[in-house]
Amino acid sequence: MIRVRGVALDIDSRRLLCGLNFDAPTHEIVAIIGPNGVGKTTLLRAIAAQHPVGGGEILVDGANVASFSAVERARRIAFLAADETVGEALAVREVVAAGRYPHHRWWEWREGSDDAAAIAGALAEVGMESFRDRLFSSLSSGERRNVWIALALAQATPVLVLDEPTTHLDVHVAQRMLALLRRLARSGKTVLCALHDLNEAAAYADRIVLLGNGTMRAAGPPEAVLSSSLLDETYATSMERLHLADGTLRVFARSYPPGEAG
Amino acid sequence: MLLRLAGLALAAVAAMFAALLVGGTSLSVHDVATSLLHPKTASTTATIVWQLRLPRVCDVAFVGAALAVAGVLLQGLLRNPLVDPYLTGVSAGAAAAIAIALLAGTSVVATPAIGFAAGLGTAVLVAALARRGSGLDTQRLILAGVSLSAFFSAIVALAIFRAQSAGYASAIIAWLAGSPAGRTWHDIAICLPYAALAGVLILPSVPALNVLRIGELQARSAGVDIARTQWLILAAAALLTACSVELAGMIGFVGLIVPHVGRRIVGTDARALLPACALIGIALTVLADAASRTLVAPAELPLGVLLAFVGVPVFLYLYLRGNRNR
Repeated sequence: MIRVRGVALDIDSRRLLCGLNFDAPTHEIVAIIGPNGVGKTTLLRAIAAQHPVGGGEILVDGANVASFSAVERARRIAFLAADETVGEALAVREVVAAGRYPHHRWWEWREGSDDAAAIAGALAEVGMESFRDRLFSSLSSGERRNVWIALALAQATPVLVLDEPTTHLDVHVAQRMLALLRRLARSGKTVLCALHDLNEAAAYADRIVLLGNGTMRAAGPPEAVLSSSLLDETYATSMERLHLADGTLRVFARSYPPGEAG
Repeated sequence: MLLRLAGLALAAVAAMFAALLVGGTSLSVHDVATSLLHPKTASTTATIVWQLRLPRVCDVAFVGAALAVAGVLLQGLLRNPLVDPYLTGVSAGAAAAIAIALLAGTSVVATPAIGFAAGLGTAVLVAALARRGSGLDTQRLILAGVSLSAFFSAIVALAIFRAQSAGYASAIIAWLAGSPAGRTWHDIAICLPYAALAGVLILPSVPALNVLRIGELQARSAGVDIARTQWLILAAAALLTACSVELAGMIGFVGLIVPHVGRRIVGTDARALLPACALIGIALTVLADAASRTLVAPAELPLGVLLAFVGVPVFLYLYLRGNRNR
């Protein structure tokens, strides 16, 4: 369970976000949405204790994330950045194995059977078992994304914080990824992710946190947060809501700038 | 992997043994082996082996291993294959201090100790300039290292310019060209505790170095204490480089190139790469030193110069060929 209480975030002494108050309970997927540059990544980094908060506190299972040592933090929270390159010639398995670092003491240099099982399980979860010996640099960007997710899974943490986990993935793989995240959440993890695709958020998130204009505009179930007026205002775009036959909510932009097209 | 490391260990031992055979007087394999097995024997051969050649071979082996390991550490930490141990400012600071000391009339005997102290002092200055928060800014570290090195090189140039009339220039230049001449067991003994301390700092950093291969941000997320790792590695690299400066002056090339050769042989896993590079550094430096003692005997070529002349073209050939084949 993550609790965000009165959090303010600064970038280079400039206040980026303030007044953030929301919970991300266990067993749920919480999606952070909002326009480009609003501070989604900074918020996720703060939750993963990789960016200092300018005010308020972020609690993971009741403990302030700022109080964790590096290893304690990595045993509780796996954070996946939106885009990270690997300069060295590493095999896929070596990249995923980095997720086992917090489960070793500094003198334990050898991989144990539990490490091997965690790495193999993580690669299987994202359907990359057959890629284990391939060079990471030879993979497509979507495949690399899967490897990073596998690393986060190998870390075996109760909390997953993912920045745009479906970027670079085609529709099929993205759906599979989101289904996997939902399965992980249902199995007892807390999953928090930034998403650009509002329909992915509508379909898979249990709760949505909408950021805009330097603050939290709304937080709650998709039906409540994805209201036309809120989205219109936040994205400065005229948005349309639609319910499919099965009751699923879909939102899409009608025109841009409002009223000019169509 | 273990087989490759064993092969490299064998190559390093063979290189050290071969280096004992050559010099002003050539010795047979049998003579050298007998002297090594019976150190108490009073003979000319035993004196040559134990008093002259073995200290020098050990000195050079120490330098080769220290620079190669420092190179692996810094290239891994900064994730930059162009970094070499002298980026820490150790050699430039040592050179400037020695140049000034020689100008001021200090005995040549005192230069290794002056170089060691000034080198470490410069590394602390570079680290202070690169400090950001509790850790180090890697870009700033490179900039500080390069800038301070340029500054101290200017001091050395000025000292050589000023020293020409006083006749000290050759002593300064000899130091800059790199040579283990004149070092004894005593010098090695002085450096051993510092190298051991470096080893103690390196051990807890090895798993972190491996995780750093996936990038600093993801390594941090995986639980690597980046600031602590940076300080441990920088301190270890500075200590090892200062030892090499004390034992042989300026020896370029080894710390830059050996890590690249090591990666080609054992890959990038620090658990294998660090010992592999230490062994390659030993073999390469010891053989180069043996050549420097015999090519123009009874005179000597500066070790640093020989390593650069032979090593750089060979490395460029291997490296560029390897890259084209990728």
